[in-house]
Amino acid sequence: MRCVAAVSEWRVKLVGRPKDVSCPSVVKTQVIDTGLCCRCMACMAACPAAVRTGVGFDFEERKHVCVDCEICVRVCPRLDYKPLSGIGSYIKAVAGRSKRFKGQDGAMVTEILMSAMEMGIIDRCIFVGRDEDWRTEILHVRDVEQLEVPTLTGTKYTFAAAVPALREAVLNTKVGVGFVGTPCMVSGVRRLQKELAVFRRKVKLVIGLFCTENFYWDELTEFLKERGVDIKKLVKTDITKGKFIATMTDDVVEFPVKELSAIMPSGCRVCTDFSAVESDVSVGSVGSKPGFSTVLVREENAKEVLDFIREHGYADFDEVSLEFVERLCNLKKKREANIK
Amino acid sequence: MGIKRLKMPEYSFGDKVKWHAAAVGTAFKEAFFPHTVTVHYPKERRKFPDNFRGYILFDIEKCINCWQCAFVCPANAIRMKEAPNKKYYPTIDYAKCIFCHFCVDSCVGGALRTTKIHDVAYADVNEMLAETEQLMEPPEIVREDRRYVEYVIEEDDVRLRRVKGQDYLLVEPPPRKEYSMVCVCDDPESCTGCGTCADVCEHYAISISIEGEYKVIRIDTARCTGCGLCVKECPLRVLRLVRREGEQ
Ligand SMILES: Cc1cc2nc3c(=O)[nH]c(=O)nc-3n(C[C@H](O)[C@H](O)[C@H](O)COP(=O)(O)OP(=O)(O)OC[C@H]3O[C@@H](n4cnc5c(N)ncnc54)[C@H](O)[C@@H]3O)c2cc1C
Ligand code: SF4
Ligand code: SF4
Repeated sequence: MRCVAAVSEWRVKLVGRPKDVSCPSVVKTQVIDTGLCCRCMACMAACPAAVRTGVGFDFEERKHVCVDCEICVRVCPRLDYKPLSGIGSYIKAVAGRSKRFKGQDGAMVTEILMSAMEMGIIDRCIFVGRDEDWRTEILHVRDVEQLEVPTLTGTKYTFAAAVPALREAVLNTKVGVGFVGTPCMVSGVRRLQKELAVFRRKVKLVIGLFCTENFYWDELTEFLKERGVDIKKLVKTDITKGKFIATMTDDVVEFPVKELSAIMPSGCRVCTDFSAVESDVSVGSVGSKPGFSTVLVREENAKEVLDFIREHGYADFDEVSLEFVERLCNLKKKREANIK
Repeated sequence: MGIKRLKMPEYSFGDKVKWHAAAVGTAFKEAFFPHTVTVHYPKERRKFPDNFRGYILFDIEKCINCWQCAFVCPANAIRMKEAPNKKYYPTIDYAKCIFCHFCVDSCVGGALRTTKIHDVAYADVNEMLAETEQLMEPPEIVREDRRYVEYVIEEDDVRLRRVKGQDYLLVEPPPRKEYSMVCVCDDPESCTGCGTCADVCEHYAISISIEGEYKVIRIDTARCTGCGLCVKECPLRVLRLVRREGEQ
């Protein structure tokens, strides 16, 4: 269902940039070169030239195919960056553990998405899976049975092109799409929704993950190799209580997360949003017992899904201790100092 | 329990005589004017209605290569085959076809149509695959019929009407209403103004100009032929084809 009557003349507001500068150059000089880019890839999701020519994220390449539409300038959350922080507003906070799925913590992310699908709010959602080298892969999940792939749930501490995949999902869905991503990805999706009506209409549920930082795949795998981690044998990565824990089939490697600061991407250095303030519901591991996920319900749509989960007894619930969440929010807020 | 016994109706002597007389009368009538409903195929054929689902014919001129027939076929009997002109046209495997005629109904161009032919004989199963060229001509069948038969329904009775001569087995496709389409934007708030539509339009029907703070996109409806190329190419699918105004 589209909301506007059909027209044969319409207009699009221009952002008002200098005439001799191309859009990719604006983003390149003001976001990429200044190290603000968070790799949410909202720009790529909206870019018509990228869709038509198949060029990737690279802005040098994109300059050559650019059609001057300015949408990248309009959707980039890091141009005129207004850092968000704190725990944000929420209706309620609970700890949950899904009885149906296995995930990173309590698999509440998966549970919420699958329940929303069962309720008919959405007919598909986007999951970040991985290959055997832990490169992220996107999967459009339209049926619970697809979750038989065990690598689909669980956290991958590397960037993923989930937002570009959202474009495809939004264009093909009949009902709505569910999205899950890090706080920066959530901000990117919100910008897309602000600028483009299809995203407003079709993205029905946005789950934000708590996040301190994310990594580039090549840098993280290189680092882990140096620490004696065999990527092929790696089954789970986790950051808890200041430690990075890499669980392999036959061994476990642990080290303080601080050591990863050398490879922390510049976009994360300037990011102050730990709890995904702009999401409909945020999920993370701190604040609840091991095996449970902390769930911050922020919007009505997410509350309905949680009520549904409770009614059907799909999950166990428990108390949360939000002081731990707040502590990490405050810690991340300090990164404001890194923004020039 | 729930068993109900039926009682024999009581007939008077007069009634019994009357019914017996009627039965004897019917016997005499059938002896002289037999009332059979059997069609003596192949000497006679039944006259089928025009919407009979028989052998399918294909008109290459009307095919727009949309593949809809192949997609819709529940028996997977239709395979699209590349022709020398690089376009793809249907072939029908009559070993698989269940004569549902979904393909005929779904054919946008009206290229597929029915016939009243139901009796094509094949020597072996491989022959049952009708290539595109074969579908363009009516198949060869042996016709020994001298009469055709119509069922006529009268009050509570079915009667056969036998007519001398051969029934014509091809059916004129029903007249189609052709619509003239035109492109419109029904989601301007999702338009990025990228200009893809103006780029691909072969009739220069879409123009984009910068007017003050806005990019203005105009569709010249007089030039638009409704080909749908822009609709297909728009990265955010904000365009749509609609029937031209004034058309029913
Ligand atoms: C980069 C990153 C950093 C994080 N840092 C913290 C932290 O510091 N503190 C904390 O409490 N929690 C953190 N989390 C969240 C935590 O690891 C769990 O994802 C969260 O608790 C949900 O667990 P679950 O069992 O409910 O999810 P599951 O049911 O296991 O589902 C996990 C979901 O996350 C998605 N996902 C996995 N990797 C990515 C990725 N790279 N990008 C986008 N989506 C992804 C998957 O598609 C899946 O839908 C982080 C998550 C990520 C992705
Ligand atoms: S085509 Fe549009 S979105 Fe893509 S780079 Fe150019 S201005 Fe940006
Ligand atoms: S912050 Fe997001 S939208 Fe902006 S340049 Fe980086 S990936 Fe693109």
